[in-house]
Amino acid sequence: MNYLLQQIINSLGFGSIIALLAAGYTMTFGLIGLVNFAHGEVFMGGAFTAYFILTILKLPFLLAVLMAIVGSVIIGVALERIAFKPVRGSGMITLFIIGLGASQILRNLTIMLFDPRLKGFAVPDFLKGIYMLGEVMIFKKTLVIFLAVLVICTILIYLVKNTKTGIAMRCISYDTQIAQSLGMNTEKIIIITFIISSALAGFAAILWGYIYGSVNAAMGVYAIVNAFVASVIGGVGNVLGAVVAGYIIAIGGNLFIAFLPPDLVGLRPLFVWIVFFIILIFKPSGLFRANIK
Amino acid sequence: MKYVKRNTFIIKHIVAIGLILLILFLLEKFLSGFWLTLLMLFGINIILAISLNITNGWIGFFSVGHGGIMLAGAYAAAFFTLPVSFKEGILGLHLPSFMLHTQLPFLPALLIGGIVGTAIGIVLVLPALRLRGFYFCAGTLGFNIIMETITENIPDITNGAMGLSQFPSYTNIWWVWGIAILLIYVTWVVKKSYIGRAFITIGKNPDLAEHMGINLLKYKVYAFGFSAFFTALGGILWVHLILNLFPKAFDLVLVFEVVAMIVIGGMGSITGSIIGAAIITFFADILAPIEEGFSLFGFNVPRMLGLMTVLIGVLLVVILIKKPDGIMGEKEISQGFFRKFLRTKQS
Repeated sequence: MNYLLQQIINSLGFGSIIALLAAGYTMTFGLIGLVNFAHGEVFMGGAFTAYFILTILKLPFLLAVLMAIVGSVIIGVALERIAFKPVRGSGMITLFIIGLGASQILRNLTIMLFDPRLKGFAVPDFLKGIYMLGEVMIFKKTLVIFLAVLVICTILIYLVKNTKTGIAMRCISYDTQIAQSLGMNTEKIIIITFIISSALAGFAAILWGYIYGSVNAAMGVYAIVNAFVASVIGGVGNVLGAVVAGYIIAIGGNLFIAFLPPDLVGLRPLFVWIVFFIILIFKPSGLFRANIK
Repeated sequence: MKYVKRNTFIIKHIVAIGLILLILFLLEKFLSGFWLTLLMLFGINIILAISLNITNGWIGFFSVGHGGIMLAGAYAAAFFTLPVSFKEGILGLHLPSFMLHTQLPFLPALLIGGIVGTAIGIVLVLPALRLRGFYFCAGTLGFNIIMETITENIPDITNGAMGLSQFPSYTNIWWVWGIAILLIYVTWVVKKSYIGRAFITIGKNPDLAEHMGINLLKYKVYAFGFSAFFTALGGILWVHLILNLFPKAFDLVLVFEVVAMIVIGGMGSITGSIIGAAIITFFADILAPIEEGFSLFGFNVPRMLGLMTVLIGVLLVVILIKKPDGIMGEKEISQGFFRKFLRTKQS
C-alpha cells in the first residue's frame, strides 16, 4: 500500500508537466484543429531560456520563470504566424506534417547551435527538502509544483468558461465563419490562445528543469507524445479533461512500470499508446465530454 | 493488325530492358566508392517513397508507421543473412535452431523479410478500419514507437539497442535498381488498371467507392500489403548497404525524410515520388559532408550536426505553404504530359 502511494506521489511531478502541456495543446487542437507537434519544441525553447538565465547568467529565480514564459510565447507565436497561418483550413494532415517539419527544424537547430548533451539546471534552495508522511516520502518541490499547477489550472478553467475571451474561443472552435460574421476578431483570439498555450508550455519547462535537474534538446519528444495522448483522452478542447487525463497518464505510466519485472522497464513508452488505442477504439470522443464542440 | 501490335509491344520491352541493363552495367563499371553508394541510396529512397505513396497518396491513409514495417522486415532478413559464427558464437541469440545454423543467400532472405513485412503491414489495416484521417496518422506514429520499443526490449532475440552488425555486404546496384525499376513498372501498370483506379477512388471519396461496389477492406489489405512488401525490401537493402542495424535507426527522423519525399514530389504521383527522392537524396547524402565542418577561403565553418534535417524541414514547410500539392501534384511525366506541355507553350 505504501509502495503504491509512493509511486502515485512520485508521478505527480511529471503529471503536472503533462497536465500543463496537454491543457495548452488541447486549446489549439480544439480551436483550429492544429495537432501541434512543435509544441514540444516550444516547451524546449522555454527550458533553454531558463537554463541560460539560471545556470549561465546566475540571475534570480522569478526572472527565470518570467523569461522562460516569454521565450516560449515568442517561439509559439512566431510558429503560428510563419508556419500555421498560411495553411490554416487545408486539413488536419497538412497541419500535422507542417508541425512535424517545424518540430524537426527547431530541435535540430538547437542541437546544431548548442549540443545534444544534458545541461544542468540550478534548483533554488527553498525547493529543496523532504517531508515524511508515515513511511511515504514527499519531495518539497513535488508538493509546491503540484499546488502551483492546481492554482494555474483553476484560473485557466475559469478563463475559458466564464470570461468573454474564453467564450469567444469556444465560439470560434464551433464555427469560425459564424464567429466572424458576429463581428469577432478571430485572428486576435487565435493569437491569444497561442500566447496562453505557449505560456503554459514555458511554465511546464521550468517545472521539468526543477524535477529532473537537467534539460536537453530532445526533451520535448517524450513529453509531447504524452500530452497529445492526454488531450485525446480528455476530449478534444476540454481543458479540465486534459488536465485530469495528464495526471492519469503520468500515474498510470508509473504504476505500469512499478508492477512490471525490472528488466522490462524500457517498455514505458508503450503505456500511452496502449491507452490511446483502447480509448480510440472504444470511446473515440474521449473520457470527458468535449468542452468546446 | 492485333498480331503486329503485340509484336511491337514485346520488342519495345526487350529494348527497354536491354537499355536498362546496359546503363546499369556501365554505371557499375565506371562509378565507384561514394558515387556508387549514392546511386544505391537513391534507388532505395525511390523504393521507399513509391511504396509509401501507395498508402499515403492513393488510398489516402496517411501512414507515418512505415519505419516499423522496415524494422520488422530488416530484422527478419537479418536473422537469416548474418554469419553463423556471429549469431551463435559472439551474441548467442536465442533463436530457433534452424535460423541459428543457416546463412541464406540474398534472394530467399529478401523474400522472407518481404513476407514478414507484409504481415506487419496488414496489421496496420486494423487501425484503418476504425480510425480516419488524422487519428489514423497518430495511430501509425504510435505503431512505429511500439515496434521500436519492443525490439529494443527483447535483447535475447534482437541484441537490444546495441543492434546487429557484421552483415555480409549483399546489396549491389543490380539488386537495388532491379527492384526499383520493377516497382516503378508494377505501380505504373497498377495505376492504369482496375485495382489502381479503385485505390485512387477510395482515396478521393471512400463512401462513393463503397457505393460503386468496391470492397473497401479488400482493397485496403491489397494496398497495405503491396506497400509493406516493398517497404520491407527497401529496409533490407538499406541494412545490407550500411551493414548496421539498430532499432533507433527506424525512428521518426527516417520516416520524416520519406514523408518529405512524397510531400515535396506530390502525393499520388509516381514520377513525383522519384523527383522527391532525388531532392532528399541530394540534401541528405550529397550535402551531408558539410555537417562535419570545412574551411572555405580561410573561414572555418564549424561542425553543425543536424543541418540537413533543418534544411529538409525548411524545404518541406516552404513547399507546403507555397505549393501544397507538391511539385507534380497528381500528374505524371509521360508522353501525354510532354505533348500537353508543348501545346500550352505554343498557344
